[in-house]
Amino acid sequence: MSAMNVLTLFLFNIVVYNIPLLYGTVGEIITEKTGSLNLGVEGTMAVGAIFGYLAGCYTNSLLVGLLVSFLAAGACGLLFAVLTVSLQANQNVTGLTITTFGTGLYFFVGKGLGSDWPGMQGSSALVNGFAPLEIPVLSRIPVVGKVLFSQNVLVYLGIVIAVAAWFYLSRTRVGLRVRAIGENPAAADSVGVNLLLYKYVHLVLGAGIMGLGGFYMALNMGGSFEGSNCWINGYGWIAIALVIFANWNTVYAILGTLVFGFFNTLQIYSGSLANAFPGPLGWLSAIPSQLYQALPFIITAIVLVASSVRSKKLGGQPAALGLNYFREDR
Amino acid sequence: MAERYAVEMKGICKRFGSVVANNQVNLTVKRGEILALLGENGSGKTTLMNMLSGIYKPDSGTISVDGTPVVINSPEDAKRLGIGMVHQHFKLVDTFSAADNIWLGVEKAGMLLKKDRYANIEEMTRRFGFDIDPRKLVCNMSVSEKQTLEIVKVLYYGAKLIILDEPTAVLTVQETEKLFAVLRRMRAEGHSIIIITHKLNEVLELSDRVAILRKGEYITTVDTATTDEQQLTEWMVGHKVTLNIDRPVVEKTRPLLELRDLTIRSDEGAVAIDQVSFYIRGGEILGVAGIAGCGQKELCEAIAGLRPIEGGKMIHKGENIVGLSPQAIIEKGIAMSFIPEDRLGMGLAPSMSITDNMILKNYKQGKGFFVDRQSGRTAAQQVIEDLGIVTPSTETPVRRLSGGNVQKVLLGREIKAGPNVIVTAYPVRGLDINSSYAIYEILNQQKRAGVGVLFVGEDLDVMMALCDKILVLCHGKVMGVVHANKTSKEELGLMMTGALDLTHKYEDKPAGIARDTLIAEEEEQ
Amino acid sequence: MNNRQPLFRVVKKNQVDGRKVILSYLIAVAVALVLGAALLALMKVNPLDFYSKMITLGIPGNRYPARSVEGFIRLFVPLLLVSVALSLSFRMRFWNVGGEGQFIVGAICAAAAAFLLGDVLPTPLVLLAMVVSAALGGGLMGTIASALKVRYGTSETLMTLMLNYIALYLLRFFGETQGAWNIFLTDDSARPRFETFPDSAQMPTIEIGSFSLDVSLLVVVVLCVLVYIYLKYTKHGYEIAVVGDSPNTARYAGMKVGRVVMRTVFISAALVGLAGGFYVSSAGALSTSVTNNVGWTGVIVAWMAKLSPVGIAVTSVLITVLQYGCQVASTTYPNIDSNFANLLQGMILFAVLTADFTARYSLVWRGANKEVSA
Repeated sequence: MSAMNVLTLFLFNIVVYNIPLLYGTVGEIITEKTGSLNLGVEGTMAVGAIFGYLAGCYTNSLLVGLLVSFLAAGACGLLFAVLTVSLQANQNVTGLTITTFGTGLYFFVGKGLGSDWPGMQGSSALVNGFAPLEIPVLSRIPVVGKVLFSQNVLVYLGIVIAVAAWFYLSRTRVGLRVRAIGENPAAADSVGVNLLLYKYVHLVLGAGIMGLGGFYMALNMGGSFEGSNCWINGYGWIAIALVIFANWNTVYAILGTLVFGFFNTLQIYSGSLANAFPGPLGWLSAIPSQLYQALPFIITAIVLVASSVRSKKLGGQPAALGLNYFREDR
Repeated sequence: MAERYAVEMKGICKRFGSVVANNQVNLTVKRGEILALLGENGSGKTTLMNMLSGIYKPDSGTISVDGTPVVINSPEDAKRLGIGMVHQHFKLVDTFSAADNIWLGVEKAGMLLKKDRYANIEEMTRRFGFDIDPRKLVCNMSVSEKQTLEIVKVLYYGAKLIILDEPTAVLTVQETEKLFAVLRRMRAEGHSIIIITHKLNEVLELSDRVAILRKGEYITTVDTATTDEQQLTEWMVGHKVTLNIDRPVVEKTRPLLELRDLTIRSDEGAVAIDQVSFYIRGGEILGVAGIAGCGQKELCEAIAGLRPIEGGKMIHKGENIVGLSPQAIIEKGIAMSFIPEDRLGMGLAPSMSITDNMILKNYKQGKGFFVDRQSGRTAAQQVIEDLGIVTPSTETPVRRLSGGNVQKVLLGREIKAGPNVIVTAYPVRGLDINSSYAIYEILNQQKRAGVGVLFVGEDLDVMMALCDKILVLCHGKVMGVVHANKTSKEELGLMMTGALDLTHKYEDKPAGIARDTLIAEEEEQ
Repeated sequence: MNNRQPLFRVVKKNQVDGRKVILSYLIAVAVALVLGAALLALMKVNPLDFYSKMITLGIPGNRYPARSVEGFIRLFVPLLLVSVALSLSFRMRFWNVGGEGQFIVGAICAAAAAFLLGDVLPTPLVLLAMVVSAALGGGLMGTIASALKVRYGTSETLMTLMLNYIALYLLRFFGETQGAWNIFLTDDSARPRFETFPDSAQMPTIEIGSFSLDVSLLVVVVLCVLVYIYLKYTKHGYEIAVVGDSPNTARYAGMKVGRVVMRTVFISAALVGLAGGFYVSSAGALSTSVTNNVGWTGVIVAWMAKLSPVGIAVTSVLITVLQYGCQVASTTYPNIDSNFANLLQGMILFAVLTADFTARYSLVWRGANKEVSA
């Protein structure tokens, strides 16, 4: 493989491998903007992944797969909403439980199917749906064309959702109300915003979007179920870190996905990049791959500390994050 | 035919746990009038209004709007009924602009946030005679700007009845004038306005009628034109009641605790205690009277070392105690017991037992790693016996006790430590007569033992019977120190509302400064 | 508009009846088990068989029942210690979700001590060095988060979360990178593999017939009793209780709240680290999945048990029965994964969280308002 090809493939894969992070992050940002910290991203994505994949296979339809992954994960969001909003349960514990439950359900279903597990090859719709979609003209630009304009349709969908979420949260009146709830639920309540409705809708919506990321993971893994490793493989946790890194902004989350994805993918490609460019990048192979994997978390920790040292609060962090609201509390 | 009121509340009751906030309260507002809701803090005004604005739900009673009975389940319902409230603690989103705070609750405003909302709101603000920048972020606003924004917000939602909870507390004189002009104009346009206040001059200047609450009970509603300051004060604080409280005469010592020109800020950053001077001698009870929220809490916290002191001196037995840690102040023998509105917030750990609460301030005593609960249990047993605390055992969590017993535990612990100064705030808050008398007797015992007592109270009758002298605070300033047996309830009431200033009643010395002060000596050293 | 009262409204309870709470928990667990049984039946597995195998840990009919008990203990010891340790942090409303990271660092530190000193010192000293370094390592991890929280108000939930992953990749780094400096790997293998500990660093066992009792169980039980005593009878424990109950009251009583938080979180994290140290010493080697999710499960156990040490002990036993029992039972049923335990655990928790609500709040139904409620 020529040096240029290695570079192109590396850049291409930064996008391909890491778009699920974007879905997870956008879902969690929508969730956190209403003031709820849902630590169940990992489990929610797992549930969305397995049910979406199975539905997609059985119906041989990408659309059904997407829809079912959204609904299945949305059900996890609904569970979270019932427990934390209506039943005032602790958000951290509920979130962790969703993760335990979700991964448990994932393995239960996968193992339960056993030899009946449908392979992805059996479903042309999923295979084709996940194949690169070359955008005319633009995809012929060298390097950039391959990296940006010949991705699969779910990559574009993820970016569209991220931009749409940004628009929704910052430019619409409903989004304004969502942000108000996360900042000061009492203020939103006092002007007649229906907190219960808003919380439920956005917790379900956020979880549903996480589920789409899970579905993407499933396709990216070629739909092969392994008994030992969950498809999501920690991406849900990275998404929670990415929310902080992106300062609760879904457009920054696109950039953040690329930054985190860069390190994530470098871990795999550092060797081949070092071989391809022994002069300028030869040092890459000397760096342990685990450092690349840890870097997203290290960077986020630094961002977290730096912002709290400066102002005690991140610009985009909802002030009431993680707190339950009960109107008659005095 | 009965008059149709814009809003009518009948027989409203509301309790929080065992505390009765409103008991059988009636209230009526006519269309196009300004009604003043008068009463001390803690008299249930805000609770009553919160039930109109949908924050709380009444336990019983009915609310009618324009003659039709309604149920207000949420602020949304209130808004739809045309009821808007400007809360004392602003309900604003700090990170939003003024316009966005308003836009938040607008029903028909289109899906998108368009730039024209700024112009729209600016125009409407100007129409009402206000001046706010719709693009300004709330976190960059001054307190009075936030207040203005709250009023604009309610107006924008088209409220027909506007409730303002002590709106002038944070406004300057000019701003107050402006606000009153706006309120009068709105009245002329047919709006109904309820203004919660305890400033009598404002009531008389602005309102058409006055409704008065006292301790959660409805007293009366009168036309403002037919009443005066004196009468309103009497309704607000109640008739003089002869109480059978002992006031032993005890030989007094030199000043134990002296405060000179003390200035303290509240949590919000406003000056809560403004250049206050007073002193307490051993063997006397000094009462502190004032409308609640006039700096009493901040004063108590500062004495206990919990709140930074901005300026002035605090001298204990001739020694400076400004800047000492709470622990060091406890060791000097200054005890503070403050009963907050929820009773359990400060001074007690509610889910811990009586024994554990007994040792709160001295658990470090005694050598070793372990807490000496045995002595705590003995102390608890003794306090239970001495003060007649009703409890299943010494190991009962404090939160399970009734209010009176909780307060006895708190006071009992403070006394047990053998202090030389006791600061006690609202020790009989919410107690029945018998429990109250028990507490007064405890304080008198301490006085006989030569302890200096600072008694921050609510009930003027009690203070006049129990205290030796009474210090009156009004908005953080001392209005004078009077002898309890030489003053009258009317005089105290006028001082509390700021209508009477007696700080220079005696020409040779201003109020609150002892002739035999120890402060000069301290400076010489 | 809707002029009717809503069907019910939610009111906070003033008092909680302990017996009712326990009863509602039992009902919750039962409901979850029934749901689990339905899922098992769906997979054509006899739920009663599965549950009975789970609860008995597969001991009846097992040729080596002692092995089952040993396996149970190996899972139980870390869970108990981690849950008890985390409860210390939670008592101060400090959301230490960094159990995973503290456990890992404890394990790494213990392993380092084992390899560096294992061949030099006698067994008791090696074990002591491992224990001390594990505790210090774990404690340090906790202190990073608590110091930042106390000094700058940095969110401890998010911070400890990040530290978990930083620790995990540190462990993987040691596990996957060969080099002369890397004392953790074996030299015999071409592929990177963790070295087994020298004999002097292995947790001693007491042989009772065919059953070998891991000494760490005894130590951990003693530690939990000590934590119980620490919380209940010492001045520190008293401070923790007051700070957790009412920080205002603590300040009023002259306590230095920040210092109490730092100290307690250090102890909490040190104990988690210690659990990591014990675990590797018993296992005799590091592994990249050393934590077995105990840092997460510990959070859940501590919370479910309402932070009470006795409750934690009971809950840990139950969760371990669930986890280990499922593991054992799933070997009999190939189409049931050992992760069924997680599924079941999740459902139990959802049910318990619901039951918890009924304990803390009550619903006032429409029409009930006319009666005056005292």
